[in-house]
Amino acid sequence: MAVIFLLGLFAIPLSSSTARAQPPVLTIISPSNGEVIGNGSAVIVTFLLTDFVLVQPGRVGQVVSPNEGHLDVYVDGVYSQLITRVEPIVLSLDSGPHTILLQLKGNDGQPLTPDVGASVRPIVTHGPAVGRPGVEIKFPANQSSTGHDVYFAVVLSNFTLVDPHGRPNAPNEGHLQVRVNDRTQEELSRYEPAFVVDMPDGENTITVRLVNNDNSPLQPNVQANVTIHIKAATATLPEILNFGVTVLLIYILIVLILRRRKAEQKAAPPGDSQ
Amino acid sequence: MTQAMENRRRHGGRRRILLFSLFLMSGLVALALSGSIASAAPPTLTIVSPANNSIVGNGSPVSVIFAVTDFNLTKPGTGGLPNPNVGHVNVFVDGVWTAEAHQLTILLDLASGVHGIRLQLVTNNGTALRPDVTSSIQVTTTQGPVNGQPTISITSPLPASVRGTDNAISFELRNFALVPPGGPSAPHEGHIHVYLDGVFYQELTSYEPPHFGLNDGSHTITLQLVDGAHRPLNPDVSASVTFTVNPGFGRAPDLSEPLAITDGLLGLAILGLLLFRGKLVKR
Repeated sequence: MAVIFLLGLFAIPLSSSTARAQPPVLTIISPSNGEVIGNGSAVIVTFLLTDFVLVQPGRVGQVVSPNEGHLDVYVDGVYSQLITRVEPIVLSLDSGPHTILLQLKGNDGQPLTPDVGASVRPIVTHGPAVGRPGVEIKFPANQSSTGHDVYFAVVLSNFTLVDPHGRPNAPNEGHLQVRVNDRTQEELSRYEPAFVVDMPDGENTITVRLVNNDNSPLQPNVQANVTIHIKAATATLPEILNFGVTVLLIYILIVLILRRRKAEQKAAPPGDSQ
Repeated sequence: MTQAMENRRRHGGRRRILLFSLFLMSGLVALALSGSIASAAPPTLTIVSPANNSIVGNGSPVSVIFAVTDFNLTKPGTGGLPNPNVGHVNVFVDGVWTAEAHQLTILLDLASGVHGIRLQLVTNNGTALRPDVTSSIQVTTTQGPVNGQPTISITSPLPASVRGTDNAISFELRNFALVPPGGPSAPHEGHIHVYLDGVFYQELTSYEPPHFGLNDGSHTITLQLVDGAHRPLNPDVSASVTFTVNPGFGRAPDLSEPLAITDGLLGLAILGLLLFRGKLVKR
């Protein structure tokens, strides 16, 4: 009886190891390929694991087993995390597409044979994940008259301005290009009015255009135009007075010339008039 | 009677076998337990990632992954009596205790600059092992990207153009993050020194275009990338633009002066006429 009991005790681990001898399966549940993770949020990777037990590598007396080990996480080929629990993996990633690879490793740190892994390629952006970007000039109004230095109030929708310091393009993020008469004047990476100074007199067309981090226009192009009339400031008081004095002097001069002519005609001898 | 004795002997034999089995089992369990802990080899600790002297860019947290051997990681305070093969990891950043970990990945949010990271195995009660088991690396963190050469270019005004008095300088920056000066130097981050005609004009720590009120003539504006200690990058990264300022550019002419001259001339003419009229009357 004792022998049977002992055999039973030994049979339990043997039978369980036999039951777990199925090849492990690793599946990434979320995010999906090409999914856009918006608002600069962290990427949360959830995965499903069958026929594999996650354990801490390097435990005392640990042996290599085909269905036991840990999970290595690689982001864009760089080793990022070592996971020993089935729980969501939180990854803080910069803007752009990223390849996330999960790979099962044995207790010796080596990949399983055959290799068991799963990868996904989401896109991270500081902008919103959904929605079509838009831009609108709220001030000044089209065809209005202004001075030479003008603040442009711009309203953006579904687009986030970021510092373009070399990060890859990402959906719904970038910066704002301000163009005066088709020439780039300013680039804004903060949500603030565009201040364009010293515009020439006359008609000026201001274009605000949303561009990607690498300065390329969005596809399709998203921009807004406004044509404004720049005129010199209202004449100053000295200018007005000067002009008035000039008119008065011209009038006096004309009167004097006419009176002089009359006087000359009167003073001339009668024969001269014939 | 003989059968009763036979039965008793059989029962006694079974009891002995059972007791022996129990003894054997407890011995096996004790052997397993003692063998797994007491006779374990000395633990080791290795930082697997990041590599020593590596750069972590874009302001990302540093993900420190380490490996242990012959050491069971347990949540601090839950591993029972102190044991040289059971415990957790103390994390030191720049010599200062920062955290304790019982998972093999540690995320550290570090400011820009060079940092020394040291991990130390400790027992459940937080005491260091004997001999001490540690592993150290040095990493550099930056708000800028890890790769790529920093560049700067001026997009407005255009070279050799004629401009008015007020000017905004627009620029494009690549592979360089603008941060306030004063912090430790880190690769691919810093600020911009602005020079007007070779003289220092201002510092830029954001992408806002700087404004200039300039007098007549030719002017050269230079934007130079510098690190947190105001030192130019090596090699130097800068951009310049030279343009001409004409205050009347794009403006309607100022009529004050011509009007004043005209007024003077008209006054003289009137005066002359009045004097001439007097002579005419006498004649």
